[in-house]
Formats: sequence, C-alpha cells, structure tokens
Amino acid sequence: MKLTALRLHNVRRFAGSGVRIENIGDGINVLCAANEHGKSTCFDALHALFFQPHTGTPGAVQALRPYSGGNPLVEADLTTADGAFRLTKQFYGGRRAQVRERDSGRVIAQADEAERFIAALVKGGISGPAGLLWVRQGVTGIERRAKAEDETERRARETVLTSVQGEVEALTGGRRMTEALAVCEEELLRLVTATGRPRTGGPYAIAIDESEQLAEQERRVGAEVADLRAALDRRRAIRGRLAEIDTPETARERQAALAEAEAELSAAKAQAESLKAAESKAALALNRRVSAEQALAGFRQALARFADLREAEAGAAQQRDAARARHQGAAGVVREAAAAVENAEREEREQRDLLARLERALRAQEAANRLATARDSEREAQATREQIERMEATLKSLILPASKIAELEQAEGQLLQLQARAEARAPHLRIDYADGAEGGISIAGVTLAQAEERALIGTTQIEIATIGRLTVTAPQAEEDSHSIAKAQAKRQALLDELQVDGLAAARLREGQARDLKADLDLGRRRLQLLAPSGLARLREQIALLETEAASANEAPADLDAARRQLGTVEARVGSMREAARAAQARTETSASALVEAERHAAGLSSALAALAESLGPEAERRGREERLSTEHDETELAWRAAQQQVEELAARRIDLAAAEARHQRLRSVVDAAREEITRLREEAAGLDGRIQTRSEAAIEEAWQETRDKLALAQQRTAVLAREVAVLTRLRDALEAARSQARDHYFAPVLQELRPLLGLLFDDASVTFDEDTLLPRSVRRNGQDEQVGVLSGGMREQLAILTRLAFARLLAKGGQPTPVILDDALVYSDDDRIEKMFDALHRQASAQQVIVFSCRQRAFARLGGHVLRTEPWHPDS
Amino acid sequence: MFRFLHSADLHLGKPFGAMPDELRGRLREARHTVLDRLAAQARAAGAETILLAGDVFDTETPSPAVQRQALAAMAGHDGLRWILLPGNHDSLAAEALWAGLATSRPGNVILATEPAPFPLADDVVLLPAPCTTRRPGRDLTEWMDMAATSPGTVRIGLAHGPVQSFSEDGGASDVIAPDRATRAGLDYLALGDWHGQMRIGPRTWYSGAPEPDRFKHDAAGRALLITIPAAGAAPAIEPVETGSFDWRTLALDCLAGEEPGAHLAALLPIGPARRQTLLRILATGRTRPPARARLEADLKAIAPEFALLQLEAQELVTECESEDLDQIDRAGALRQAAETLLAESRDEGRSSSEREVAREALMRLFSYCAAAA
Repeated sequence: MKLTALRLHNVRRFAGSGVRIENIGDGINVLCAANEHGKSTCFDALHALFFQPHTGTPGAVQALRPYSGGNPLVEADLTTADGAFRLTKQFYGGRRAQVRERDSGRVIAQADEAERFIAALVKGGISGPAGLLWVRQGVTGIERRAKAEDETERRARETVLTSVQGEVEALTGGRRMTEALAVCEEELLRLVTATGRPRTGGPYAIAIDESEQLAEQERRVGAEVADLRAALDRRRAIRGRLAEIDTPETARERQAALAEAEAELSAAKAQAESLKAAESKAALALNRRVSAEQALAGFRQALARFADLREAEAGAAQQRDAARARHQGAAGVVREAAAAVENAEREEREQRDLLARLERALRAQEAANRLATARDSEREAQATREQIERMEATLKSLILPASKIAELEQAEGQLLQLQARAEARAPHLRIDYADGAEGGISIAGVTLAQAEERALIGTTQIEIATIGRLTVTAPQAEEDSHSIAKAQAKRQALLDELQVDGLAAARLREGQARDLKADLDLGRRRLQLLAPSGLARLREQIALLETEAASANEAPADLDAARRQLGTVEARVGSMREAARAAQARTETSASALVEAERHAAGLSSALAALAESLGPEAERRGREERLSTEHDETELAWRAAQQQVEELAARRIDLAAAEARHQRLRSVVDAAREEITRLREEAAGLDGRIQTRSEAAIEEAWQETRDKLALAQQRTAVLAREVAVLTRLRDALEAARSQARDHYFAPVLQELRPLLGLLFDDASVTFDEDTLLPRSVRRNGQDEQVGVLSGGMREQLAILTRLAFARLLAKGGQPTPVILDDALVYSDDDRIEKMFDALHRQASAQQVIVFSCRQRAFARLGGHVLRTEPWHPDS
Repeated sequence: MFRFLHSADLHLGKPFGAMPDELRGRLREARHTVLDRLAAQARAAGAETILLAGDVFDTETPSPAVQRQALAAMAGHDGLRWILLPGNHDSLAAEALWAGLATSRPGNVILATEPAPFPLADDVVLLPAPCTTRRPGRDLTEWMDMAATSPGTVRIGLAHGPVQSFSEDGGASDVIAPDRATRAGLDYLALGDWHGQMRIGPRTWYSGAPEPDRFKHDAAGRALLITIPAAGAAPAIEPVETGSFDWRTLALDCLAGEEPGAHLAALLPIGPARRQTLLRILATGRTRPPARARLEADLKAIAPEFALLQLEAQELVTECESEDLDQIDRAGALRQAAETLLAESRDEGRSSSEREVAREALMRLFSYCAAAA
C-alpha cells in the first residue's frame, strides 16, 4: 500500500475549512512545518481514517472534532497491488465510510464493507502488526494519545521504550497472553497432572473414582435385583408345578395304576416259574440223551480206531527197521572217510617237513658261497686300509705349506735380484781372445770363453795361461753385501723351516706329495667299494654267513619235485575232507529219520495199548456195545416227552418283562412325584427366605438410586473430561500461537534490524533478546549499558529502526506498508539525525516513508520529496 | 350417580438418585404426601372411592417404611376407599409386595389383584386388569369384553399400560386397545402408565401422575374427578390439582445480537413458587459470547431461589464475530490463537466434538481476557 494523497475537512483547527496534501510519492516524503500548522492533525486524521470505525465516537474521534463542532471528514488516496483507491470517512453527522476507485470514482464499498476493506489494508493479514508502523514521539497508534505538549522528557523516554515493548507484546500476546496461559494452566493442573493424567485428589480423579465405584455398586445391586427376579420367577414356576402334581386326586390315580400293575406282575411271575421248571427238566433229559448218544458213538469209534492202529503199528515197525539199517550203513561210510582223511593228512605233514629241510639246505649253500666272497673282500679291504694308513703317514711327512713355498720363492727372487744388482755394479771383465789364444784365461779353474764377460766381485784370481795369476780386488759396496746377506739369511731360515736344500727340492717334494695324495684318494675309494658299511659291519656279515652255512647238514635235492608232491598231497586231503563231511551229513539225516521212525512206532504202540485198556477184554466188547445202544434209545424217549411239556407251557405264558417294565414305570412315577414334591417344597422354602430378605432391603429402589447416581457421576466425569479437553486445546492453541509469532517475526525482524543498526551505531553494538525482541544492552566503548539507562535519543532511534525493520519484513512479504513518523526524532542530536536520515533513505528505496516534523532546519537535510499543505474544500 | 377420583403412577419410594441430596428428600416426601392431597380432593368433591391405576409403588420391592407409611396414610382417611391396581412397576410378579399388602392392609384399602368383577356399590362393578408381570405381552383388558354384569350396572374398567404408541417404555406388542371402553361396554376406563394427563376417548383417560417426577410432560400434577350419572350415560370428567412440585421446561430461543436474558425474566415464576419449581431452560438458536456469558451469570444468580435450575445449552450456538475477537486482542499472538480456535470451531472437516471443544476453548479465552480487563 502506498499513500498518494491526504485530505481533511472540519478536523480540529480546520473548522469549516480543509487542508490537503497531494502527490505523496515513493520513498521519503517530508512535511516540515512549524508547530500548530496542522501536521499532527494530519497524522491523527490519517490514523482515524484507518483505525476508527466511522460509526463510533471514541476519544480519538472526539479529539478530531473542532471545538465549534462539525463533522470531521478525512479522505486519502492510495495505491495497492489491486489498483488506486480513495478512502473517505466522515464522523458524527452524516457518518459514512466509502471506498472508491480513484480514477473512475466508482464506489467499491460502503459502510461496514468499506471498514472491512480498510481493515484488510492496514492489518496486513490477521496476525500483522496493526498500527506498528505509526510512530510519534513514542506513542503508538493503538494507544490513547497523551497531550504531546505536556510530555516531559522523562515521560517521553519511558513511552518510547514501552511502546517498543508494547508492540512486541502485541505480537506475542505479551502480558495478557502470559496471564491467560497461567490461568489456563492453573485450571488444567487442578484437574490433571502435567502428563495429562487425572490428578489424584483433584475433582476429575474423584469423579472418575466415584463413577467407577458407583458402576461397581450398580453391578452388584443389579445382580442382586436380577437374583431377586430370578427367585420370584422360579418360585412362581414351582408353585405352578406343585399345583399340577401335589393333589390327593393325582396321588390316588398314581397308586391305583401301580396296584394293578403289581397284580399283573405276580401272575406273570408264577407262570414264568412253572415254565422254568419244565424247561430245566427238558434240559436235563436232553443232557442224558446226548451223553448216551456220545457214549455209544465213542465206543464204536474206539473199536474202529483200534483196528486201524494195529495195522499202522505193524507198518511203523517195518519202517523203523529199514531206517536203522540205512543209518548203520551211513555210519560205516563216515568212519572210512575219517580214516582216509587222517592218512592223507599224515602224508601231507611228512611232505611239508621234507620240503622245509630241503629249503634250509639250499639257503646254507648260498650262504657258504657268499661267505667266500666276503672273506676275500675282507682280506683285500684289510690290506687296502693298511696301505692307506701308510700313505697317510708318508703324506704327512711330505706335505709343505703352500704359503711357505711362495715365501721361499719370493726370498730366492729377492736374493737373485740383489745379487744381479751387485753384479751389475761390480766391474766387469771381458776377454777377447786373440786368435789362437782362446781359453788362455780362467778364473777359479774355469776358462773364460771368447767374449765372455764376468763380473769381478771381491777378490778374484785370474789365471792367465802362460802369464800367471792376476789378482784383482774390487771394492765391494757395503750396502749390497749387507742386503744380500740379509736375504740369504731369510732364505736359509725358510729352507731350514721346510727342511729342504733349496727351492728345487721344495718343488720336488710338493710334486711328490701331490702324487701321493692322488694315490691315497684312490685307495680310499677302493676301501669304500670293498666294505661300503665299514670293515666291522663286513666282519659281522661274515660271522652271520658262517652260522648260516653251518646250519644245514643235508645235501640239497630237487626242491621243485618236492613242492609239486606237496600240492598233490594237499589236494587229496581237501577231497578226502569233503567226502567225510558229506558222509557225516548223510549219517545225521539217517539218524533223525531213525529217531522219527522209532518215535512213531513207540507212539502207535502206546496208543494201541491205551485203547485196548479202555475197550476192555476183546471178548466182552460186543455185549458192551449192545448195552450202550439200548440206553441211548431210552433217553431219547424221555427227552421228547419233557420237550413237549415245555412247549405246551410256553404257548400259554404272559410277557413278564412287559409286566415288570410297566410296574417299574408306575412305581417310578409315584416315587418321582413324591420326590419332586418334596424337592420343590424345599426349594420354595429357600426362595421364600431369599425373596423376603431382598424385598425387605428395598433392593430395586437402591438399584434405581445407584443407577441415577451413576448417571450423574458419569455425566460429571464427562463434563470434567470435556473441561480438560477444552483447557488442553486452549493451552495448546495459546502456546502454538505464541511460538508461531516468535518464529514468524523475531528472527526475520532481527535480521532486518541488524544492517540498520550498523548504519546508525557504528560506534556501538546493540544486542537483542532473541526471545522477546527487546533491545537488551548496548555495548559502547567496551562498556555494556542496559537499555534502561539509554538516552531518549537512542531509544527513539531504536523504536524507529525496529519499525523500519518490520516494514521491510512486510514489504518482503508482499505487503508494502508506509511508515509514518510524526516528530519521531525529538531527542536525537544532529549527527545522529544524519545517520538516521541515511537509514531512512536506505529504507525508502523500497518503502514509502512519510515524515511529519516541526524541526524545519534539522529536517531540511533529510532530503526526499517535500510535501506541502494546501487549502481544500470537499466538492460536495 | 357414582363419583370417584382417578389417579395413577404415584411411584412411592422413587429414589431420585440424580438429584442433589437436599432436594431428593423433598421430592420423596412430596410423593408420600400426595396421598393426602388426593384424599383432600376426593373429600372436597364428595367422592368416596379413589382408583389408583397402577404403579402406586416405584419398585416391586419398596422398603417396608414406604409400604407401611403409605398404608397408614390411606388408613388415616376414614370414610375413603382406596383401590390399588398392580402396574408394570409393581406387578403381581412382586408376590412379596402384594402378599405383604394383603396381610397388613387396613379395611379401607382394596387390592385389585384378580381380573374378576368387583362390586363397588349396589349397581357399580369394577373390572380390574392387574399387571401380572412387568411386561405381560398381551392386552390384559381383553377379559372385560366377556365379563357379564346384570343390566343397568355401571361398568368401570381399571388398567395399566400403554395405548398404542403412548408408552413410557416404548413397546408396542402389549398395548391396551384404545377402544376397549366401547368394546367392553364400559362406562369409564381408568388408565395408568402415562405420566401426563391425556384423553384417549370420551370414556377413556390417563389420569397422569398426581405428583410429577420428570420434565417430560411439562405440566402440574393432577388427578381426575369422574362422575358417572348412570349406566351408559356420558361421564363428567374434571381434572383436579394435586401436585406439589412443578417440573418446567423453558424453551429459550436466542437470536444473535439479542440479549437472551431479556425476555427470560418474564417467563420465570415469581416469588415463593420458585422453591417448588424444577426449571430446565432449553436454550437454542444463536448467541454471541458476551451475551452467553451474561446469560450464564444471570442464571447463576437466581438459581438458589429454585428447587433446581438447569441450563441446557447444547443447542445454543455461540458464534464469534471479528469484533468479538477484538475483545481478546486486536492483533498478535493472542488474536492468532483466537482466530485458530474460531476457524477450528467452524471447520466442517472436523468432528463435531472437536469443533465444540474449540468453541468452548474460545469462550474460555474470552472469559480470561474479560477477567484480565
């Protein structure tokens, strides 16, 4: 929203006249005028246009009215995202509110609808900071305005600060919110605990307990009522039943029926007994007849059997004899077979012994052969070893250390070198014989050859033939002789050590040693060949072989023939054994056949003997058979007579079972009736007692009463539960709204505020309480100052900056709202005002700011768009 | 001419367990003393017979005190004849009750426990239809059609139970034929069971309870004085007042923007009658939070004058407008909370109980803010 024009008429000092401010632009607009030029009037009128309903006349509206009376009219043009509008309100007489399209003049809304339109403009949504952006000397739009003229500086300081506080509280509900929450919590906690469970001892818990107790009581009493009703029903049923069965007439009927049944039953019983006697007599006769018949048949069967048995006995005796003969034959075969097996086995044993002896002899012969070889090897090995020992001894004496020989060589070479040098230094003698004179000169008996040169060392006697002896003494160089002597001594020492005459001898000895060593290796390899495991082991083998060679005392014969013979004998033993086993099996079969035949024969004999015993002597047998036959005929006749009598009786008899059943049934009817009557009377008596007790206790009344009370208690519980739900809902709603307001405004506003603060207070930093958005302290020159002791200037600056921050926040949220300042910078010094102006300009880049001020000089530096008031009179 | 008083449904011994203790005693006492008021009305009209058409006792097992004191009260009215019919509450199934009454009854108390003609006077016969059980399941008055009496005899039927749908308990299988008086040639059929007085036909009436016991019927306790000039002649039927307590339901239809308490005062009884009045105010319509709060405060102020004063406001919709919310706060978190609750109370997507809780929570917030202010 942006304001573009403000007009007012009949407002305060403009009684009967008007004033207007047109062309209010974007950014900063300044109306600078001296006091009493009506800028506060403009501010108040604008405020009333936005915040006072046209119908009311509260203090703020009354304050607009001129002393002379009249109907204040305020009109403002503004543009919003939806277009350009003109708002008009007139108070008191002709009160009206109107919104028109600015350009066309078309009426958009009137009266209450216009109020709603305006409200929607300023409130910026329901939770927006209504009136927040109106600042005048520490007084906010929603508070009743105190007379500015009367305000002292102290008062101004106070209200500037409290206004910030008040507006922040307006956002979060502030003190009223806290109070409402506290009351809500208190009421809730009276009923439930912090976790929402009914509080013990509280009305809710008591109501729940009472409900439960009453419900229990209701159940108990209800059960008793049901019991009573059941008892009544039961007793009525019993009485009905007794009326049916417990009368003299029914008792008589039952007795008569029973007597009749008893008579019938005794008649039936008498008949049954006669029948039973006849039947037992018939049964006896039948028994006799049957036994006579059996005796006759048995005797005849025995006779027949006796004849059969006798025949069978004879056959069995024959079979037995044949079996015995077969068995004896089989036993003979077995014995022969056993003898044959024994012979064959003995032969096999002998053959085996022979074979073993032959094999032993063969092994001895082999051992003797190997023994001779071994002895040769042993002798040779012994000789070889002795030879080796000798060679080792010789080698030990011959061998020279190689280093010493090299040393000797070196000493020899050195000596020769020294001698050669001495010789070279010595004077030389050469003879060139004249022809014919050759060999005329000799030294120490050696003739000097033609052109031979010789060194002269020391004193040399030269024989010159025919001439004489020439002695020449050459001076010997001291040094040379000394070195040579030393070298000779060293050489001699080495020779002595090596015990040789010279280097050649040493070399010779070295060669001898090498040869000997080669021979020694050869000897050792030979010994290894002859006795690979050593001589001792070889000798042990010899001893073993000697024993083995001596073990046989028999000459080896044809081993293979002996072996073949053994195979033949073994085969014979096998076949003999099989034959013996077969014969044995046969004899077992024949033995059991013999036993069976004997048993059979003996059985038959004993049966025959027993039968003969029972039949008696043979002569009397015929007579006995005839007696038995006669007896059988007689018993047959007696049985037929008895049977006939039974049939006659049975044809006439009464059904005893039916008579008994009938009697039984009628007796049980009588008994059951008696028993039921007794039982029902007893039960009725018991029920009487129960009913009496319950009735006297007015149990149904108590039940009804309990049910009423229960309903009441449940209703009360429900009311309290509802109360808990309501209070919980309210508490949650309040807490949610408070925290939402904080989340929604605090952090964003602080974010907007920080750059503005930096702009203004480069020498100080202001800290805000994150929870309340109130400035907490200011840090300046390293000192923390509580906001309470800040200067009025600082506080009013903070108040303005906070509003600017809000305005930025709203603008960012798509609801640009003008910030209107009326003499808002009263206490600020020039320097600070400059900075404040900077802040305003920075802000005005995206925001409309309208400044009313009487400080013309100071505000001349603010810059911005300068507004002017002009006289105005409404058209109509 | 034969004149008698017709009453029913005394429900002696009814406990009124849901009532406050002090009132319970008074209500029970009023049930007992209604016997005296019936007797007084009978005497005043010169009637000697009082027909009680069932439910004299509230239960099948009234306490001995209730029984004996009732019998003593009846015995005390010498020259009056009390005829007691078993109803559904005190049916013949209550053998102990009726056996006890039979042995201890005074001479002027007659128990109509047999469905058989009983001579009330030389040419007047009573045809009673006692309830055999709590729910007999059949029309017990049927026998009256067949009951023979000598010509010129006044036939008076006495029965207890519902006629068609007029039932206290609501069943329909065991109703009394509404035209029984015509069918059985009765001069009058005295009915009990329905606690409000009601005419079923020119010769058939429910007397109603002489002392009301619930809000349902919204009428004072009454009995009927019946005068039968002669057999076949139309009976004269005259209601007489017998009640002590008045159970009233007051419908209060509120309009938003109106002061609901304004016309309430005119509807309330005045003076000492309030002590004998149980008043239920059934508020409906719409109201705004401050008016609702004032109504509740007003009722709370006058409640002690009544035997009982209840406000039933479940049907009273308390609506908030934005100016109502302004009383909580114009803006800010408190206003936000109020708006949230208001929106929730209007949200059709929520269950009605949720909406109701939100609405009440909002009312509560009003009261907190009002108290703070």
